Amino acid sequence: MSDWHESSNDSGRGGPSVRAERLLVRVLLALRSEARRSTNLCHDHQRAEALASRIMAEFPRRVLPVGLAAMLVVVVCTSFPLVRDVLPDAAGGAQPTPVATAVEAGLRQQGSAMSDGIEALRAIVGPFAAPSTTPTHDHATPSFADEPVHEPSEAAAPFQKS
Amino acid sequence: MLDAKTERLTIRRARSGDREAVAELIRAYQRPLESFIFRLCGKSELAEDIAQEAFVRVIKSLDRFDERFRFSTWLFTIGKRLLVNHHQKMKPSADSETVEFRADDHRRPEHVLEEVERSEKMGRMIEVALDALVSPQREIVLLFHQQGWPVERIAVELSMPEGTVKSHLFRARRRMLEAIELSGTPNPHEVFR
Repeated sequence: MSDWHESSNDSGRGGPSVRAERLLVRVLLALRSEARRSTNLCHDHQRAEALASRIMAEFPRRVLPVGLAAMLVVVVCTSFPLVRDVLPDAAGGAQPTPVATAVEAGLRQQGSAMSDGIEALRAIVGPFAAPSTTPTHDHATPSFADEPVHEPSEAAAPFQKS
Repeated sequence: MLDAKTERLTIRRARSGDREAVAELIRAYQRPLESFIFRLCGKSELAEDIAQEAFVRVIKSLDRFDERFRFSTWLFTIGKRLLVNHHQKMKPSADSETVEFRADDHRRPEHVLEEVERSEKMGRMIEVALDALVSPQREIVLLFHQQGWPVERIAVELSMPEGTVKSHLFRARRRMLEAIELSGTPNPHEVFR
């Protein structure tokens, strides 16, 4: 049995011995010195320097590529419409016909074909049309002025009396 | 350790990419953090690795650091989380390498042997005392006695009332005392000469 157990008995108390209490104090002081004391300050210094260098060396490598990639994406996205508009002018006739131009040409072709059809119809219908000398009395446009004026009593009945 | 004002200034310098400021932060907190992690896990190599990883993470995230809090509080929290992630169930084990001894020490061999022996005895006694503690008590004892944090700061860090921290400290010291008494190490005062 250790000597401080004997001293505990000597002390006559039921609790921990004085020696054990002193030992605990020394344990706690030793614990405290662990965080403060360094037997090899130079070694700790070197380790700190090495770690600082490592962190500072890794930092730009990790951050820069992400930043550059993000910037590149933004630049490409924003400048793409401008580049698309500029490219055909710069390349001249060597570039393939743009889609918008092809559609426009097709619409114009259809429009001219329709106007040709209308001209052909006019040419067919023209000879059968009556020469109109007095455009005021045209059969095609009936006038209500020639109709007989009925008496009010008769006018109420829509049909002639039998 | 740095005082609060110096710490703030150093952090601002480190944020702007000052390498020397980063080195200052590491120099100030490397040993306290390593000793704290070591006493939680009982493995010095693991403690060194975790402390390094904690520094890497914290310094790379300095932009997110809230200056109302202490840098060391943040650093120790990250270190503790890294350790918990490393092995969810903490079971401290004795390590052949003690905190104080390093292989590249250039002192005389007989002195080194004496110091290693004493340091091992001291380490064993501290382990005996700390092994008697459960997880929150161990952490509170380390933050209070090893790191020298005030009770208020520990209470904030562990999100518990100051009274609870104090009662944990009281119970922890009693347990440590009982463990030391039960361990039966002969000639205890020689250990801490």
